Amino acid sequence: MTTAVATTQPTANRAGGGGGSGTLYDVLELILDRGLVIDAFVRVSLVGIEILKVDVRVVVASVDTYLRFAEACNRLDLEAGPKKDPGVPELVGSVTESGARGKTKGALAGAAETISDAFRQGKDGESEGEEAEKEPRRTRRSSTSSRREKDAE
Amino acid sequence: MTTYVYGIARAGTPRLLPDGLAGVGDPPRPVRVLRSAGMTAIVSDCPPGLRPKRRDLFAHQRVLTVAAAGGAVLPLRFGSVSPDDAAVRSALADHAELYREQLDHVADRVEYNVKAMHHENVVLRRVLDESPEIRRLNETTRTGGDATYQDRLRLGRLVAEAVRDREAEDARTVEEALAPHAGASLPGPEGTGRVVNVSYLVGRDEAAGFLAAVEELREASPQLDLRVSGPLPPYSFVRTEPAEVA
Repeated sequence: MTTAVATTQPTANRAGGGGGSGTLYDVLELILDRGLVIDAFVRVSLVGIEILKVDVRVVVASVDTYLRFAEACNRLDLEAGPKKDPGVPELVGSVTESGARGKTKGALAGAAETISDAFRQGKDGESEGEEAEKEPRRTRRSSTSSRREKDAE
Repeated sequence: MTTYVYGIARAGTPRLLPDGLAGVGDPPRPVRVLRSAGMTAIVSDCPPGLRPKRRDLFAHQRVLTVAAAGGAVLPLRFGSVSPDDAAVRSALADHAELYREQLDHVADRVEYNVKAMHHENVVLRRVLDESPEIRRLNETTRTGGDATYQDRLRLGRLVAEAVRDREAEDARTVEEALAPHAGASLPGPEGTGRVVNVSYLVGRDEAAGFLAAVEELREASPQLDLRVSGPLPPYSFVRTEPAEVA
């Protein structure tokens, strides 16, 4: 079962699929919220899934947000400067290492968490086997997203 | 036994399914087809107590992806269940014209979903770079010293506004870069506000060009964390409500 799931991940592992880097997280909303609906059919219960509608937008006008942004700015390593911008991969690494907790990160991590919750909720009564499926899948994700996921935990 | 419906295709299509394709459920229910009025429904038995579990979401997606390799398929939303096979057949017959139209629309096309978020530090750096006032406040507040709560608040507000402007600007940048390579586009489901969350309907022949445009964008916009999913069944480009049929 583990193998079957890992190899049939919808987009990330398509052989010759051509650059799709998405994961189930990224397409979940499409599978659940899009697609043809036929009146004559009923839908299975999606209890817990509406929490997908979390707003992870960066900017929310609140004192809390402002303070987080101020903090994030203060934390920037200005020595590096824009000229010596470390570039994306290193940057992601440095953000993770410094344990930055900007609004972006916090909000995004929160969203990832709620999606995990949705899965967990969907899995009640499942055997250990289902739980074990999560690990191999994770290791296949890009370093960026697995870091993010780690942060969500 | 209720019937789980994955998608709808033309009856002429199959090559549609390889033998032994596994559907939803544990153990997975075998996928089969039902035909009526020149249309085909891709179905399996529906396991009791079906929920949106990871395994079943994958199964839904996999069945549609495999079937689409054999011809145009209208993907149904996850979890569509019919009381029985007969009800599926009559739904096919009732709406055959509508389905044919939509199949023509998505034939040889796939969906790519593009999400973009900001790499916060890259954006913050740019914001600092562009505003002397923000730089000044940042200096004052980071050294502690004389900085007041009001200074930090003011810094944060200015930065938040600048970042918001950047979000709008980057959303336009993405749209301008990718739209020319797609036949249609549609914002992703609401409430997942990122800089961008858009689905594009892209011809299979044009997919390479589309992905190349994504790569160019990635290089030109290091502040964006771009995530592309696809090729997908055209979930976003089927009408979600059947039209009133006479």
